[in-house]
Amino acid sequence: MTLFDRPFRTLLSREILRFTRVWMQTIVPSLLTSLLYVIVFGLALGSRIREVNGVPYLEFILPGIAMMTLITGAYMNSSWSVFDAKRERYIDEVLISPMSDFQITLAYTLGGTLRGIIVGAGVLVLGAPFAGVEVAHPLLLLFAGLCVSFTFAALGVLVGVLATRIEHISFLMNVILQPLTFLGGVFYSVEMLPEALRVGTLFNPIFHMVDATRYATLQVSDLVPYPTFAAVFFLALAAFGAAWWVVSRSKRLRY
Amino acid sequence: MINGERNGVPALQVKNLTKTYANGVVALNDVSLEIPAGRFFGLLGPNGAGKTTLINSIVGLARPDSGEVKVFGRDAHRDYRYARRMIGVSAQEVNLDKFLTVEEVLLYHAGYFGVPRDKARERAEELLDRFALQEKRRQRVNTLSGGMKRRVLFAQALMHDPEILFLDEPTAGVDIELRYRLWGYIRELNRGGLTILLTTHYLEEAEELCEEVAIISGGEIAARGANGELKERYGARTLEEVYLKVVGNDLVR
Ligand SMILES: Nc1ncnc2c1ncn2[C@@H]1O[C@H](COP(=O)(O)OP(=O)(O)OP(=O)(O)O)[C@@H](O)[C@H]1O
Ligand SMILES: [Mg+2]
Repeated sequence: MTLFDRPFRTLLSREILRFTRVWMQTIVPSLLTSLLYVIVFGLALGSRIREVNGVPYLEFILPGIAMMTLITGAYMNSSWSVFDAKRERYIDEVLISPMSDFQITLAYTLGGTLRGIIVGAGVLVLGAPFAGVEVAHPLLLLFAGLCVSFTFAALGVLVGVLATRIEHISFLMNVILQPLTFLGGVFYSVEMLPEALRVGTLFNPIFHMVDATRYATLQVSDLVPYPTFAAVFFLALAAFGAAWWVVSRSKRLRY
Repeated sequence: MINGERNGVPALQVKNLTKTYANGVVALNDVSLEIPAGRFFGLLGPNGAGKTTLINSIVGLARPDSGEVKVFGRDAHRDYRYARRMIGVSAQEVNLDKFLTVEEVLLYHAGYFGVPRDKARERAEELLDRFALQEKRRQRVNTLSGGMKRRVLFAQALMHDPEILFLDEPTAGVDIELRYRLWGYIRELNRGGLTILLTTHYLEEAEELCEEVAIISGGEIAARGANGELKERYGARTLEEVYLKVVGNDLVR
């Protein structure tokens, strides 16, 4: 009970209020961008590519696009929240409250996770009429979505603590996460790649996440599904562990 | 009643605290300090003496290299949940959550410190009244004037009903009216049993409010004692003279 005590719940609700209060800036733009992807890639390219792995192209890319949106939403939420709180030092109030570092990390991470889940689910719901997707394994999809969102929210916390300038946050997003996402098989199947690239893709964690989501949604995947789900789960644990470590050790918070 | 229960255990015990910052600055050098429960204590010293560092080391915002801190006899590090609930801090620099309104700042703070919701609402009403913030309660804190932000900062520090209050230069930049109002209020709180540690550069403020002061200079406690006692020891008429003698000596050396 101490883990989910009032201090923890209060910080979590603050984190949720943070993005729901300005939903026009936090939720709506993500959904619009993703819908653009669906329309441009799905409808325009879809008429030429037709099918990938036996699935209509639009249907094939929708889970990946949802995952992309989810990753961005989760990461942006927690990295900005922590960075802002640290820059203006109102995180001190949290740091001197009776919460443990574990609780603090978890509250920030769960806030980001929720935003990721909301925008990710939003994309699926909005895109489904275009693509005609029916989710094959809803529980697996929820599991994968939670794990991935949690992973990137935790990563956001870590970056938010370590970043000394705003550019550090966007650098990681634009120079590392987005390319990895694009190369993670959102728009194509690895089967379509030459051997070298295919092997390289296996080292891209986001590829495993996209593949897990695709399996849960369409029952189509490049990899053997269940080990992928396990990998996605362990990635979430590892990311959280790293974020927790940074929150409790970094001189940027407690100097 | 609280003091009785605790049988004379000091509110705060700091033993041999040393703090070196990453850039090599030794901000605290073997500082020991004891503050009895219920005392109104002043911490004086020039800019950069280590006052804020001492406060931060006690509440866990700074990590001391060595030393020990006890709050009502319990280790502040090992028993951090207890220690942190006991202490309220009004920081030197305004650090309010800019996303929230005045009222929300108070309620969220109470939540972070585990205060039940009904009690928090009651307390918020009381403090909004106290600091004449009722009109501003639905306003975002980042739209307030500097002095108004200060008021919110005090109110926030008091929301969880701490037993020890740290006021780090609370009257820097506030108007005269608020200064007197604040003096009256903290004196009243102190009479009710609250232990207060006040840092200030206004010596007449320390003279007026504090029963006992410590003067810290270069990270070391240079003098400490009851106001009258210090004046006697240094053959001074005012606390200001004592201060100048203590800190001045230090500068010459
Ligand atoms: N985060 C930090 N990193 C490095 N040095 C620091 C840091 N914070 C404070 N210092 C240094 O530690 C010393 C003590 O600073 P501190 O803020 O505790 O002084 P202070 O007594 O509160 O001063 P003031 O009256 O100006 O508020 C100063 O030399 C200061 O430059
Ligand atoms: Mg200071």
